[in-house]
Amino acid sequence: MEIRNFSIIAHVDHGKSTLADRILELTESVSERDRRDQMLDSLELERERGITIKATPMRLHYTADSGQTYQFNLIDTPGHVDFNYEVSRALGACEGVLLVIDAAQGVEAQTIQNAYLAADNGLEILPVINKIDLPAADVPGAIAELEEIIGVPGDHAVPVSAKTGENVRAVLEAVVRHLPGPKGERVAPLRALIFDAVYDAYQGVIAFIRVFDGTIKAKDRVLIHSTGKVLEVERVGFFRPEPTVAAELSVGEVGWFTAGIKEIADTQIGDTVTSADSPTDRPVPGFKPAMPVVFSGLYPTDTEDYPRLREALEKLRLNDAAFSFEPETSEALGFGFRCGFLGLLHADIVQARLEREFDLSLIATAPGVVYKVVTTDGAAFDVQNPSELPTPDRLESISEPFVALSVFLPEEYVGSAMGLLQEKRGEMKDMIYHGHRVELRYEVPFGEILYDFHDRLKSLSRGYASMDYQFLEYRAGDLVKIDVLVNEEKVDALSIIAHRDKAYDVGRRMVDRMAEVIPRQMFSIPVQAAIGGKILARATVKAFRKDVLAKCYGGDITRKKKLLEKQKKGKARMKQIGTVEVPQEAFLAVLSTEE
Amino acid sequence: MVAPALYVHVPFCPSICPYCDFHKMLRNEGLVARYVERLEAEAAAVSAAFPESPATVYFGGGTPSHLTDAELTSVFSALRRGWGAGAGRAETTLEADPLTFDERRLAALRALGVTRLSIGLQSADDATLRFLGRVHDAAAGLEAVALALEAGLRANVDVIMAVPGQDVERDLRRVADLGVRHVSVYSLTVEPGTPFARRGVRVDPEADADAFELAGSVLAEYGLQRYEVSNFAAPGEESLHNLTYWRGEPYLGIGPSASAYLPVGGPFGTRYKNPPIKAWLAGETPEAEALSADDYLLERLMTGLRTREGVDLEGLERRVGAKLANVAPAWLRDVTRHALLERTDGRLRATPAGLERLDGVLRAFVGSRTAIAADRRA
Repeated sequence: MEIRNFSIIAHVDHGKSTLADRILELTESVSERDRRDQMLDSLELERERGITIKATPMRLHYTADSGQTYQFNLIDTPGHVDFNYEVSRALGACEGVLLVIDAAQGVEAQTIQNAYLAADNGLEILPVINKIDLPAADVPGAIAELEEIIGVPGDHAVPVSAKTGENVRAVLEAVVRHLPGPKGERVAPLRALIFDAVYDAYQGVIAFIRVFDGTIKAKDRVLIHSTGKVLEVERVGFFRPEPTVAAELSVGEVGWFTAGIKEIADTQIGDTVTSADSPTDRPVPGFKPAMPVVFSGLYPTDTEDYPRLREALEKLRLNDAAFSFEPETSEALGFGFRCGFLGLLHADIVQARLEREFDLSLIATAPGVVYKVVTTDGAAFDVQNPSELPTPDRLESISEPFVALSVFLPEEYVGSAMGLLQEKRGEMKDMIYHGHRVELRYEVPFGEILYDFHDRLKSLSRGYASMDYQFLEYRAGDLVKIDVLVNEEKVDALSIIAHRDKAYDVGRRMVDRMAEVIPRQMFSIPVQAAIGGKILARATVKAFRKDVLAKCYGGDITRKKKLLEKQKKGKARMKQIGTVEVPQEAFLAVLSTEE
Repeated sequence: MVAPALYVHVPFCPSICPYCDFHKMLRNEGLVARYVERLEAEAAAVSAAFPESPATVYFGGGTPSHLTDAELTSVFSALRRGWGAGAGRAETTLEADPLTFDERRLAALRALGVTRLSIGLQSADDATLRFLGRVHDAAAGLEAVALALEAGLRANVDVIMAVPGQDVERDLRRVADLGVRHVSVYSLTVEPGTPFARRGVRVDPEADADAFELAGSVLAEYGLQRYEVSNFAAPGEESLHNLTYWRGEPYLGIGPSASAYLPVGGPFGTRYKNPPIKAWLAGETPEAEALSADDYLLERLMTGLRTREGVDLEGLERRVGAKLANVAPAWLRDVTRHALLERTDGRLRATPAGLERLDGVLRAFVGSRTAIAADRRA
């Protein structure tokens, strides 16, 4: 049977998942009764947030107009910039992509980014102009943008409405006609790409693979290229969408295998699986070990939950090789973990899963980037936690990560976007006009666009701007550590690193926000931001004027005592620092918006 | 074995006030008879176990003055049978509603051994009294207080504060002008489940704080000093019975829902709580909770810091076997630095500012303290 391996890529909300659902219906892989919207997004959080985290592959059978039946492998890809590497590896398993463009919105930043990613992987691009049912749909305009901006010819572009199902069959015919089938040798040592994996409590890791050469079946001895680990295959199969066991996966096919693998870290995304007896000397190119870029401290609100937090992190790590954790101690928060994430969204997801699936109450410190530090005695190391930054007298240099940022927006918003980028210490590299739209290319410190940048960009452009970025390099900067003092005591977990020119504004904003969120207590509490010993900004949490119950006679004593103790236990997401109760929001004060 | 005080709970009221969340019920003859009978039995049993005669007796409620003379006589006889004629020799207090006594009744109460009336006047203003749902008017209330004083009884007058529309200063002056030597002032609190809560009554926190401060200055003009958060007295007129609670001394308790604290069951004593009336009538025994060192320390701070005399810190630290400076160092530093508590002559006391925010002070203590056992291990 001829095979087509492809993925659907799109800017967010351009209709990728809806199109995937329609394709599944047309290929009768999902019965109407099992159909749920956005079939491929299986994790509860994925469904809730309308985003895809895992690159789920699905095998479909399609009988073309010619009468010939094809095996389609449709690979869903993560739809967020945090997961760019995962997208590129999922694309590595394909020969072609459907590039979905909203007929009313046209080409956007992620359209371009994803198209380039596909082109880099040598994939054939089949444009699909979606949402033709909308009154504002402009199919010729979208095709013109496609040709002009991305340089993809529009001849084969298929106009559809994934929502109504109109013309979706034409997409499948175009897949058969315009996307190439896989190449490779059946009789050859196994050479397969791991493009994602999930952890299953019963079978261990289920690795998603694309076979480039050879075959894989139960009892085969295989080798993981980057680690040299040898495994015996237990089962192989594919998804339709439920996992289905197969006799073998052969050249060109996409599916899964299990081998009693205990940790997902043993099957890293992008790695190559090959035959243990005659390993390939040509691993699938493009492998990079997962690299967290955003770090934050996670602490249990109740110190007794520390062992439970450790267990939960270990369990989550089984299913998510992209996040890291190691124990750390904070004077203010006690025992916790420094965790690394692919981005802010990834951090949010991990924290939400810890609280929801493991019933933990956590305090998270402000997420930050990794700084590279050289001390006066010549030692060089990474700083993941701002409180570990050496004092200025011992600091030779400190560097921060820069990213190449591209912002895509209608021309009337360019002025405000440039203002924002300047505030974020961005340096303009290029400004490209595509008709009435503009692409701004900037180099900007990653730490500056971490928090409120995307929201502000969206708001200043009435939602029209889109963005994407790639890591560039580390650059030295005039960076300082801002400490925060609550009730005249330095709280190590609140320290952050900022550029000296912005330190005052950042400090002001942090203390004002903290004074808003810290509840009033028995005395007024100063909240101060400082560099070294120098106070930059101060705000005050006012005290209660009167806070005493009128009656406390014999019969009231036990009740009042229990009430005091209960109030302490009931403080979820509150941390006691000395005598002051500090809520979670205060630890994220630096994230509060500047406007 | 020392048991210097006895509390007697009388749960009956003539009407139910819309702000009250105490254990109380409307009077019902059959029930009252069974109550008196059961109380007599309980007095006999408790006095057998703890025979030392209590120096103070306090009848609380409810409204104990709604018992008839005959019922009260039965109760007093039962106490005398159990603990002898000396029961209540230092002070015998009865909580009384202004409409429940006249000159004849006052003489009868004196004859029974009552030395002190705690009178629930609440306000000397008709509008405020109506708002509170009280059945007496201001004139009748003030007249009752004057009668009690003339009869040679000590009077402790309850005044409520922070009622919407209330003129607190005028209320306090009208009471103090009668020559009352003990006043208790309570801010209106809207407890969940009370009629006020259902009606959405709210207390303005600023008015509440103003009233708290005003009470101190107005009553001081009459020589009445704040000796506890809510209690003001001329020197020597303090409620001896209530001081036993705030000093952490033992007391006996009988009647439905009555509590007791006795020096048994471990070095820090045991708290008892009788069941509500139905179970109590059926003879159910009280719930008991032996205190740990941590419980004891917290209770002593909780009650002792409410008083002007404060707590004997050195004695307390000896008794629990730990220093406050080790149990809650950050707290001790903060409360003294911010002048909420002060240490003098081995005692720890709340300053006026600390008294006004004492619950916050205690919450911070509970939030930041380490357990005493852990402190000892360290």
